[in-house]
Amino acid sequence: MKQLFANQIADTVTTVKINVLVGLQFDQVRFHVKPGEKVKLIFSNSDDMSHNLLITKPGSRLEIVNEALQLGEKGPSMDYIPRSASVLWSIPVVNPNQTKTLNFIAPQQAGVYPYVCTLPGHGFIMFGAMYVNSDGKIPELKNDLNIPPNRRLDNNSAIINQHNEHKVNEGNKPTAIKPLHPYKPVSPYLYRIFIEGASPAAIAVSLPGNLSYCWDASTCKLRFAWTGGFLDNSELWKGKGDVLAKVVGTLFFSDKTEFPLSIGNQDSIQVVDYKGYSLINRYPEFHYTLNGINVYELIMPNNDGTGLIRKFRIPDGNKIVWFNTNPADGVSYISSAGKWKNGKLKLVPKQAIDFSITMSRKEGGLL
Amino acid sequence: MIAKTITRFLIGILFFTEIQSLIAQDKNESYRIETIPMPEGLTSETGAVEFLPDGRLVACFTRGEVMTYEPSTKKWKLFAEGLHDPLGILVVSNSELLIIQRPELTRVKDTDGDGTADLYEKVTDDFGISGNYHEFNYGPVKDNNGNLFIALNSSSGAGNIRPIVRGEINPLGREQGSKGQMFSNVPYRGWVMKLSPDGVLKPFASGFRSPNGIGFDLDGNLFATDNQGDWIGTSALHHVQEGKFYGHPGSLVWQKGWNKGNPFLLPLSVLDSMRTRGAVLFPHGIMANSPTQPLCDRTEGKFGPFSGQLLVGEMNKERIVRVMLERVGGELQGACLPFFDGNGLRKGNNRLVFGPDGSLWIGQNSHGWLGDQGIQRIAFTGKQPADIYSMNLTEKGFDLTFTQALDASTATDIVNYKFRNYYYQYHSKYGSDQMDINTIPVTKIEISDDHKKISLTLSSLKPGYVYELSLGNIKTSDGDDLANKIICYTLNKLKAGTF
Repeated sequence: MKQLFANQIADTVTTVKINVLVGLQFDQVRFHVKPGEKVKLIFSNSDDMSHNLLITKPGSRLEIVNEALQLGEKGPSMDYIPRSASVLWSIPVVNPNQTKTLNFIAPQQAGVYPYVCTLPGHGFIMFGAMYVNSDGKIPELKNDLNIPPNRRLDNNSAIINQHNEHKVNEGNKPTAIKPLHPYKPVSPYLYRIFIEGASPAAIAVSLPGNLSYCWDASTCKLRFAWTGGFLDNSELWKGKGDVLAKVVGTLFFSDKTEFPLSIGNQDSIQVVDYKGYSLINRYPEFHYTLNGINVYELIMPNNDGTGLIRKFRIPDGNKIVWFNTNPADGVSYISSAGKWKNGKLKLVPKQAIDFSITMSRKEGGLL
Repeated sequence: MIAKTITRFLIGILFFTEIQSLIAQDKNESYRIETIPMPEGLTSETGAVEFLPDGRLVACFTRGEVMTYEPSTKKWKLFAEGLHDPLGILVVSNSELLIIQRPELTRVKDTDGDGTADLYEKVTDDFGISGNYHEFNYGPVKDNNGNLFIALNSSSGAGNIRPIVRGEINPLGREQGSKGQMFSNVPYRGWVMKLSPDGVLKPFASGFRSPNGIGFDLDGNLFATDNQGDWIGTSALHHVQEGKFYGHPGSLVWQKGWNKGNPFLLPLSVLDSMRTRGAVLFPHGIMANSPTQPLCDRTEGKFGPFSGQLLVGEMNKERIVRVMLERVGGELQGACLPFFDGNGLRKGNNRLVFGPDGSLWIGQNSHGWLGDQGIQRIAFTGKQPADIYSMNLTEKGFDLTFTQALDASTATDIVNYKFRNYYYQYHSKYGSDQMDINTIPVTKIEISDDHKKISLTLSSLKPGYVYELSLGNIKTSDGDDLANKIICYTLNKLKAGTF
């Protein structure tokens, strides 16, 4: 629980710092000062919208918010501050990345003095309360009717769980879990998503058997694979999306090759072009071209659930194909065809039309 | 926990919507609104709404779902899933859609006829993505020659670029030193792009900050809205033409042959001389703060008298804006006014589409900003609204044409027409104040024989200014009040022969 008591400083001016959170919220939704105290309120706007801050007489917030709306076309030039005796102090519009300061002397009259942003639409949800009294009493957060309803929770760090079987409850506290979708996702399923360790064009796939992998649509390769849960998208889906999906579980494979396939000349520069994917029994089969040659890759759990089986098709190739590995990538390999030499599998054109690579995680081999 | 937070947040918004609508338009008898029931469990931040040839609605949502809705049975059905912030749909057939998502434009198709998509084929990904959260993509819309147009947001200065990006990085596309301004470090952020039928994606027009909405009018003119912020004094509707630059500098680094270094460092006067101004400005805090999709009324009267005009969604208010355009001095310019306010309409009006019956469907979104969620529908009741039909510049002022005949005594009373003019400054700062606000006296009023047209003579007309007209208590000849009392005309060019 976060609760701000204004800091006393030597010259008896109390400094209160207020910033802005995503979703039209002040970061501090309440603070306490003593009657007659000198207050310095520093309002910083780290949001990407403009805001103002008005302190009103007790009980006058909605009246002021509606008066600000009624300013209509006069609003912008008046900083959305209505001329009203109920507005005690105001900070005019603060643009993104700006800070403005207000100095005032707290009222002698004890009470709950609302502060609010009166830009159109903001004032109904973007507000807080200044408690003025000499004994420092403020209600319990969850019972505080002077702050926005969503801030009355004792923990503002919200969590959704991506995986249905993932444990959420600690102790006996019941937690309502809102479903993530209007259906229960059934593996295999995927998300195009921002995830660490891949380009922004990543595809994360959940497979049956608690296996998951990330395939990167800009580099056209399997980047990494993990076991355990799938993803935690709670932060990602909370606001504007300025965060990454979190991998739930433990990584067991991480590609360390320049590119897993070579076609024709082993040392030629690999030019890939992503084409898309088809769902085959809900498993995505990725399609891309490698130096102009069509390649298809479909990834499933291997037979004993210890890793993945990668099914490749290179139907129109008439060249030798190499499959490249790196000993530090966390898995051991078995192939359906071809010859291994120094961690490289060589397939003649006929074998390359349709082959599979089974990757099993090494003993104790979690990355 | 987040679920609870969101729910409470929404309850708060819903509760207060009641209060707010009191100050919006009075009860609207020409249009009625209906809220569409959404499927249980769906976070219905709506990225796009369109109609399939068979009459079903198709919509996509922030968490990647694409769903269809059969209006007659009110049944939702999942069509596709897993997309990354899809924000636009172009319908190809009942089983095939083109959908813009963060990484690409994708063909989403049901090839085996089981009712759900099984092919997700890349149509184009020939643009950069840096992983910056603000790199939303919009469109596609199709012209009469089969070209597709998409719009790419600039990246947010409040965020950064990821260690791994797609596309070449050009550091010159970002201001130096400070944080805050939108930028373009990877190709074509801040551009409208053209995809020709041969599959080649080409840069078309630059200078966009957040063009959340593109569309055509009846004459095939392409429009995009842009959102107030750095370099954008107030939100605008742009007439998008090939090769033009619309004001936000970052994107210029991707202009073919660009050799002027970091565009943020160019003198303001240089950038200003390069830019094309908005065809219509939406005065901030007055008309719209975050305009979205411009949709042309092609219903030929099924939706009321405004056929051929544009409707534009607004995120921050319970409002749909109406836009009327005219060609003056060879360029499009025009006016905007509220079309639908309050009356149960929510915020977050992100996407618009006309249904087969001529009703307007509105997909709503918030996505961490101000807005609501869900889908609503506005239908014309058949009762003609009493409203301004059009506002046209004349040599000496403006002609106002109304949808109904007016009561001559109130309509010719000079106190009922109050003009202000002002401009918005072009600068790197976030938004602009209204500059040089003047009251412009009306010197003469004439009313047409049918009492539908009012010709106003103003004491002066000055290009580069918004002319904001507030109407007083004007009645129709039937004694009805007007639906709207405010209209803003963006005067970029004067008529030849002015004064």
